[in-house]
Amino acid sequence: MISFLLRRVLASVPILIGVSIVVFITIKIIPGDPVASLLGPTSTPEARAALEERLGLDEPLPVQYVQWVWHLLQGDLGTSISKQTQVLGLVLDAFWNTLVLTAFAALLAFALGISLGAVAALRRGKVSAAISNGIALVSISLPQYSVGLLLIIYVATGTGLFPTAGMYSAIGGGGWGDLFSHLVLPGITAALVPAGIIARMFRTTVIDVMSMDFIDALRARGMSERRILLHAFHNTTPTLLTIAGLQLGYLLGGVVFVETVFSWPGIGLLVFQSIAQRDLPVIQAGVIVSALAFVLINLVVDALHATIDPRMRAHS
Amino acid sequence: MATIDVAVNPRFRRRVRTSGTRRRLPTSSRVAGGIVALLLLAALFAPLLTSQSPTVGVLGDRLQGPGAAGHLLGTDGQGRDILARLLYGARPSLLTGMIPVAVAGLLGTAFGLIAGLGKPLLHSVVMRFLDVFYAFPAVLLAIAIAAALGSGSSNAIIALSVILVPPVARVAEAETGRLRNADFMEAARASGSSWFSLAYRQVLPNIAPAVVVYCTALIGLSIVYSAGLSYLGLGIAPPAAEWGLMISDLQQYMFTTPALLIAPALAIVVASVSFNVLGDGLGSYLNVRSETV
Amino acid sequence: MKRGGLLKNGDAGTPAGASTGAHRAAAAAPAPSVPGKNTLRVRELSTTFVSGRREVRAVRSVSFEVRPGRTLVLLGESGSGKSVTARAVMRLHGPRAVITGDVTLGEVDLLAIDDAAMRGIRGDRMALVPQDPSAALDPLRRVGSQITEVLRLHGVVPDKASARARAIELLGLVGIPDPQRAFRSYPHELSGGMRQRVVIAMGISCDPEVIIADEPTTALDVTVQAQILDLFADLQRRLDTALLMVTHDVGVAADIADEVAVMYAGSIVETGPAREVLERPRHPYTQALLAAIPTPGVERGQLVAISGAPPMAGEDFPGCAFAARCPFVQPTCRTTPPPLVGVGSGHLAACPVINPITPGTPVLGPTLENSR
Repeated sequence: MISFLLRRVLASVPILIGVSIVVFITIKIIPGDPVASLLGPTSTPEARAALEERLGLDEPLPVQYVQWVWHLLQGDLGTSISKQTQVLGLVLDAFWNTLVLTAFAALLAFALGISLGAVAALRRGKVSAAISNGIALVSISLPQYSVGLLLIIYVATGTGLFPTAGMYSAIGGGGWGDLFSHLVLPGITAALVPAGIIARMFRTTVIDVMSMDFIDALRARGMSERRILLHAFHNTTPTLLTIAGLQLGYLLGGVVFVETVFSWPGIGLLVFQSIAQRDLPVIQAGVIVSALAFVLINLVVDALHATIDPRMRAHS
Repeated sequence: MATIDVAVNPRFRRRVRTSGTRRRLPTSSRVAGGIVALLLLAALFAPLLTSQSPTVGVLGDRLQGPGAAGHLLGTDGQGRDILARLLYGARPSLLTGMIPVAVAGLLGTAFGLIAGLGKPLLHSVVMRFLDVFYAFPAVLLAIAIAAALGSGSSNAIIALSVILVPPVARVAEAETGRLRNADFMEAARASGSSWFSLAYRQVLPNIAPAVVVYCTALIGLSIVYSAGLSYLGLGIAPPAAEWGLMISDLQQYMFTTPALLIAPALAIVVASVSFNVLGDGLGSYLNVRSETV
Repeated sequence: MKRGGLLKNGDAGTPAGASTGAHRAAAAAPAPSVPGKNTLRVRELSTTFVSGRREVRAVRSVSFEVRPGRTLVLLGESGSGKSVTARAVMRLHGPRAVITGDVTLGEVDLLAIDDAAMRGIRGDRMALVPQDPSAALDPLRRVGSQITEVLRLHGVVPDKASARARAIELLGLVGIPDPQRAFRSYPHELSGGMRQRVVIAMGISCDPEVIIADEPTTALDVTVQAQILDLFADLQRRLDTALLMVTHDVGVAADIADEVAVMYAGSIVETGPAREVLERPRHPYTQALLAAIPTPGVERGQLVAISGAPPMAGEDFPGCAFAARCPFVQPTCRTTPPPLVGVGSGHLAACPVINPITPGTPVLGPTLENSR
């Protein structure tokens, strides 16, 4: 088990390196001359050259990359152009907020997805299965920004039950209850698409498992259908974990839209605002932190997977 | 007899009808296909379907609700006819949804073939390369790329193509891997087929159904994503009409005339659902196992 | 050690060759019924699968019985209905199967009791050893806990500790070296042969009266096959179980069967003591089947094959299902379903052409149902 984990961690390293390279390239492909835009059109060539040297922009690309990574590893993600504060702090705060929203949405998505998927799989051919399938299908097709807006218009303002924006109330806010009431609408919005995907994949998994020979062998041994379902569910958990990993990644990224619509102070909103302000260090940092989190989540998921499925521990 | 049978490329095997009924595309998929066709036609013939301009509006008519005189779906904040914007907007919305999938389909299949048929080392390298892109939450990467390149449809298309290649490649690689050790492949190799011939003539026709089905469903997703990019201001620029742009545009009026938002939102949903259903139906018709990544 | 003389390439009816197997010789005399163990009796069992408007008649009016300590082999190609029969006896088919006829284990009418009662019998009084041992085990759980689960399910042991002890004992009984280690292992850590033994151990765990083995050797290497067959014979001797084995391998039948029932297109076409049926087959299909077995050492020639192909599963036909491929076919064969005709002590064959019906010939009614 330990060796398995070590192998996985080691395997993640090249991926993280790749991630950093991609982000670096993304920054470098931005058209235009950063120095010129910083100093303005009236700057002299000497001033520009000096600034270039100061920023390290005259070095060859690989060297720039290494310098950049070096800064990264020390926690120095630069300074936000718009907010003039350390990017690291900004990003970490925002990321925590996103994590809260993502976790809530993930719970919702799984609860809904598994229920729908199970119904669709076990009651095949009946109306309830068709309905479940239909719901799942529509779910995955819904654009979050539309749903979010609809919910705000008709649920939040219509019923007044839930707030329309933000993470905590500006006045007299704070505390779990307040957080929860703010979480509901954005959480549902964010959870819909993953719920649909989970429902469809879980349905396939359950059908697969139920048609496995050992389920039949269990029946031949006289086991009741209920116990068999328990065993079957146990056998779906490896696949479920794989799905979990993927969907969490999707959620982390997809929250951009939800956060924008609901003004949730997370990474998505931060990146969005930074785009408008061309605040590159923040955009960079946002993407890197998200990717890092995703890799870590996958590692945890893999570890859980190996705990449940002994075959995974056998080979890399 | 069994050995010879297996060595035949499954594509050439006579389809055995086990029951008396033919395989048909389910009704739901036919309907979906019809809707898709309608959408494409609407996009193509927009100028013929409406006389109003999608980009120039009459300020005096602004913010009329649906059913107003001469404006079936109402007007937006600048007095532009919503229906006209919807119809003209179908073009960029559908195109920026479909083109990235086409590009990703080609590139992804190529990657998948290379990875699936190549030696283990090549396989590892390609898959690792794709893993890097998988490590990013897809939407965020698309946003980052689109932001880096600057706003505009072509940049949005590039960004979406990049993030859609890995999933397609994964499907292609998985399917190729399944066929790799089949007897008919050995037979082809033994008769001296070059790698390219193997890939093109033996493997490609067999993995095509799975890839095509996956890509059809991917179009639905891509339409949602591309509208999303426009919503964030990263796609086509105003005053052009595009569904995502319309939503961000009309968002400010959502408390006064929310009904206006329904048209573009519904358009996106309908388009997405239709492609998804079509993909599903194709999948069962072509007997492809559905795998959503 | 087992195959040989009994099966000669060429014409049927050749005098018997060398004896077939050590265990068979040992059990030459029918074992007396032990009180507590019952006979499995099957009468006119039919299984039809209904799907929408379509009906597939997979098994048509099959009758046989398996007594304690005896082995009946259902022999037939794929699609002959032998597996469907075996599973129908245990009521393992889903709701889309319509099963008619009579199946009794001792006093109990297996087709009449409710689901809960049937569950109690499955695994306890009747056990199934499925075809692919790897697939019959839960890949995520240790082998030992899967065995103890069966034991505790049927209340055979009072607590966990005794369940564990009994499981290890069973693993030893089926010939697994180091049963303690096997107990803790996961299925993928064991070889195919070991897995099959584990599955057999599960089957005998509650001391069943009947073991139904569905192609237990097909998924195994040839050398392992022989060991597993030995194991079955050994266990049967010890536990005095009735064994119903389903297989397409004539060699397996020759090895282990006391009685053989040959199935074709959903019906039994010939049945009787193994020696009789395999040495003196009286149905054209059995004859052709035995003739088709290549024998090493015989002069090279053409492989004998049966021309044509068996009917599609559930296809309906008037008359004899084998008529299209039969070298002895007569006009009546295509119109009248042939009854099972007695041809010797306990030996029946459904071919009135080879076995003409005379007054005094025992006839058991048609085996093939008329088409609708």
